Formats: sequence, structure tokens, C-alpha cells
Amino acid sequence: MNVVELPLAVFVVDDEPPARNRLKDLLGDCAEQLPLTLVGEASNGVEALDKLSEVHADVVLVDIRMPQMDGIELAQHLNKLHKPPVIVFTTAYDSYAINAFEQRAIDYLLKPIRLGRLFEALTRARTAVPVRSEVLQELTPEPRKNLSIHERGKIVLVPIEQVLYLRAELKYITVRTVEHEYLIEESLIALEKEFAARFVRIHRNCLVAKEEIEGFEKVAETDDSEAHWAVKLKGLNELLPISRRQQFIVKEFT
Amino acid sequence: MPEPRSINQNNMTDTLPNFRNLGVILRIVLLVNALALFVALTQATSMQDLMQRTINGSAFLQPVLLSALLLLYLLNDILARMPYRQGATGVLCAAALASWAIAQLGGELFASPGEYGAFNLWRYVALSVTVTALLLAYFRLRALSLSPALPEARLQALQARIRPHFLFNSINAVLGIVRSDPKRAESALEDMADLFRMAMADNRELVPLKREIELSRQYLALEQLRLGDRLKVSWQTQDMPQDALIPPLMLQPLLENAVYHGIEPMHDSGEITIKLYRSANEVHLDVYNPCQPLGKIHTGNKIALSNIRERLALQFDIEASYSVDAGENYYRVHIMIPYVREESR
Repeated sequence: MNVVELPLAVFVVDDEPPARNRLKDLLGDCAEQLPLTLVGEASNGVEALDKLSEVHADVVLVDIRMPQMDGIELAQHLNKLHKPPVIVFTTAYDSYAINAFEQRAIDYLLKPIRLGRLFEALTRARTAVPVRSEVLQELTPEPRKNLSIHERGKIVLVPIEQVLYLRAELKYITVRTVEHEYLIEESLIALEKEFAARFVRIHRNCLVAKEEIEGFEKVAETDDSEAHWAVKLKGLNELLPISRRQQFIVKEFT
Repeated sequence: MPEPRSINQNNMTDTLPNFRNLGVILRIVLLVNALALFVALTQATSMQDLMQRTINGSAFLQPVLLSALLLLYLLNDILARMPYRQGATGVLCAAALASWAIAQLGGELFASPGEYGAFNLWRYVALSVTVTALLLAYFRLRALSLSPALPEARLQALQARIRPHFLFNSINAVLGIVRSDPKRAESALEDMADLFRMAMADNRELVPLKREIELSRQYLALEQLRLGDRLKVSWQTQDMPQDALIPPLMLQPLLENAVYHGIEPMHDSGEITIKLYRSANEVHLDVYNPCQPLGKIHTGNKIALSNIRERLALQFDIEASYSVDAGENYYRVHIMIPYVREESR
């Protein structure tokens, strides 16, 4: 049977216009030997997420150092798409990231980008599998600036500074902001480690934002629970119970 | 055949201290008096005795010290031109001369009656020569401890200008426009050549401020190629002294920091403000840039900045100053150096 291979769909993300130009020039050169189409480009991570919710790309070429959202965070959010693209990182110089890439055999291109290397990377991309988000998080000491949720075909970003608490519930984690509640599929332990600067654990299943703590209240004994402390967060009426093991934080934050 | 010049050759360590520099003069006065106090302390038997001895000593010490300093102030340019050894001998002679003259002029006043006699004169001269030699050794050691800043400065200036991040991104940017806008690519390459030429040049001498500004503009033009409208620059040079000299590579590394840590991580555009002005005998350089409030702490630029500080200390001692004002969403570096004019060098 004759299988017609669709041309490789490529998307370019870089904050510098000449760098995007360069990639487009080179993609044009590659197209002579490798069927491909440029399906779009973006100058930052948020724009890229928006556009890639609309069009599918097989490969996304992502610059690592970008304002607002770096390339590694972007890659983690793109993993939430139904058919996550293969990411090829581009960087001029970043010894930390390059070492990390080498160790985990993640594909990257050094700027100035050579036609030959780009061609190889695109050829490999056909059969490559997207890198898992946990592995991507290991690539950088920086926590993400946003959490992301896949909702009705779109990636919704929740800036981490808007998150009031994270609570594990069965399979999911509830992400609570003043106005909304979202569900994400991540591990609370990993989240606690990544965002140690913002959150503190008050219970086996719950992390609250330190800055958002308004006060503590003592909850009287009831039929099914003994007397305990609870946290009141700014802008929320809900009281979040503090487990006995974490009682010490009452003193720490008052 | 000319010998290849090592970057250590003819360094600051092989020159005498500048006896017209306020910092050098202060150091000499303080150290000599501290030494005198120490000597009095070794012999004193009571608090009162200590004070008496200090006052007695000062009566001779201060005139000798001040006249020696005056002599060195006058001879500074001549001594500075001599090779180090001869210059140092000259300094010792000047100290000997000063103490001899003071002892001769007011000898009766200082010598305790009936003691020492002619030996006294010889003793004074020997003491002041010894103290002077110690001071010269001190200045040499101080210069030695600061001087790594010089070759290192060249290296770092080189790395600052050819900071890998900048170099590779710039080349990539030039490649990015080479097909669509070859003329602009050409001029970008020319700017790059000028920057690297300067970075690789011998950078010990002071350079005209104008030249450093020219270079900084070329550097910013290259960054603008990459960053486009995101990078805005405002030069305030109307009060700038046209004939001032400054140490090379003072301004450009500051701008590079401002771009790398300030503008690049910003989502919106940002404006770097460079203010250059003179007030009395001082030249001021002020670089201001906005930065992301949640931005990372400035860590990468510490090395470049501390190098600039060391070079200023070595070249101008306390006559130059350097300060950083880091706010929530801005970063400002202010440098003040003495006003050195082109012809008065």
C-alpha cells in the first residue's frame, strides 16, 4: 500500500526577529529535500501556546532564553496538547542547559544554526517522542511561572502568583485562585519541590501560598474530627485544616 | 626585534604611587602617624607618658612628613617618568632631605638637651628613610594585590564584549538578515569588527570619553539589530566634557549588563538611560535600566562590576567612586572619576 506522508509541520518560536528569519531561510533550504511546511511562528511563549492550540505542528523549534516564559516552560505546557509536538531547543550559549540536554539526549541546536544540523534534527523528529514534562523540569533550576490546564482544546495558563492553594484529590490536584478552580494531573510532591518559594504544606494533601495567609482559626471538636487549627486565606471563605504534624506553622506565620 | 609585550609588563606595579592623589597622601599621613603612635606605645610607661611622647614625636614628625609630601608632590611628574628603581631611590632621597633640613633648621627645638648630639641628625635621616622604604613597599604590595584586575580586565572585557551569548546571538542575527537586507548585515559586521578590535587592543591607557561613547553606540546598534524596538536608548550628553579621558571599557560593559539583565528578560520594551556630565573636577557616568520586578537577582554581572571597581581603585584610589542602586524594578550604576583632560596628561 502506498502511504502518502504529509509534509512535516514546523513551528518557530524566538523572541528575536532576525533569529526567526534565519530559521525560515534555512527551513526553505531544507524543504528542497525534506517535505515540510512552516505552519506558524511566535515571538513568545504565550503567543506560541495560543497559535498551537489552533494549528497542529509536528516539530516546534523553541529558543530557550525568552522573556516572560522561557523555552523550557513552554515545552512543558505544550506537552498538555492532545498531540504534543516534538520540541527542538535552540540556544546561543547556555552551558547549564546544554549539559542537561546532553545528559538526557534531548535534541538542541546551537546558534548560529547550521543547515546540516537543522536537517538532521528535522529528520529525526519524524520518529522522535516528546520529552516528558518531569524531565523538562529537571533541565532548569527555575520554577515555571504558570501552571497549565488543557481545557476544550485550549491551553489555559494560570500564573503561579494567582494560585492560593493546591490540594490533592484522588487522581487530580485542585488549583484554586480567587475566582476559579482548575484540575491538573501532577504530583503534589513535585509541585511542592518546584514552588518551595511560594507554598507551604499545611496538610498531607494541601499546599497554601505563604503570602496569601490571612490568619489562623481554631476549629472546635466535632463528631468526626478533633479540635484543630485551620488556615484562612485572603479572598477565600473556605477554611483549610492544618494537620497535627504541621501545627508548627501556626507559630511560624503569626 | 622588539620583544613581545606581555600584558604584565610595565604594569601599575612598576610605577610609584601618584603623590598628587588625595588617597595616596591620606594613606601616607595616616600610616606614618599610626607608626609613630606604635613606637610611642612600645616605650610608654603610663597614659600621660604616652601622650607626652606622642606630642614630642609629632613636633618633629609632622614638619618632616609635610615637607616630604610637599617635595614629592612637586617632584611627582619627574619621579613618575623614571624607571621604578631610580624613582624609588629619588623618593628615599627626598625623605632624607626633608628630615635633614628640618633637623638642621630647628634641631635645637627637637633634640632633648644633652642627648645624642650629632648622632641625632644621622638618626633622624635613617629613621625617615626606613619609614619611607616601608611605605613604598606597602604601595607596591597594594598595587600588586589590585593589579590582577588589569590583565583580568582585558580578559573580562574581551569576554564581556565577546560574551559568548552576545557573540553567537549577534552572528546568528547577522545571518538572519543577510539574505533580506545585505546592506544592514554589512554594517553590522563592521560594527562587530570595531568592537572586537577594541576589546583585543592594549587597554591600559586612558582613552577619550568620546571614543568609548562611539564604541558603546556601535555595541547598542548590534543589540538593536536583535532586539528591535524592545531596546530603547536615551543618551544625555549635553553636559559632557568633550575632552575628558576615562579608563577604557568602563561604559560598554555597564551597557551590556543593562541589556542582558534588564531589557532582554523584559516582555515590553525598556529604555536604558545614559547620563554623562561633569561637575567641578569630576566626571560622572550614570547608567539606568528598568528591569523585571520578578527578575532574577543580578548575579552574573557581579564579576564585571567588581572588576570595574578594582580598576578604579587602582587607577584613582579614593578619588573615584562607584555605586549601585538596585530597586524593585530598576538598576542604576553610578561612576565618578576625576576629570582628566586630553592635553593635561
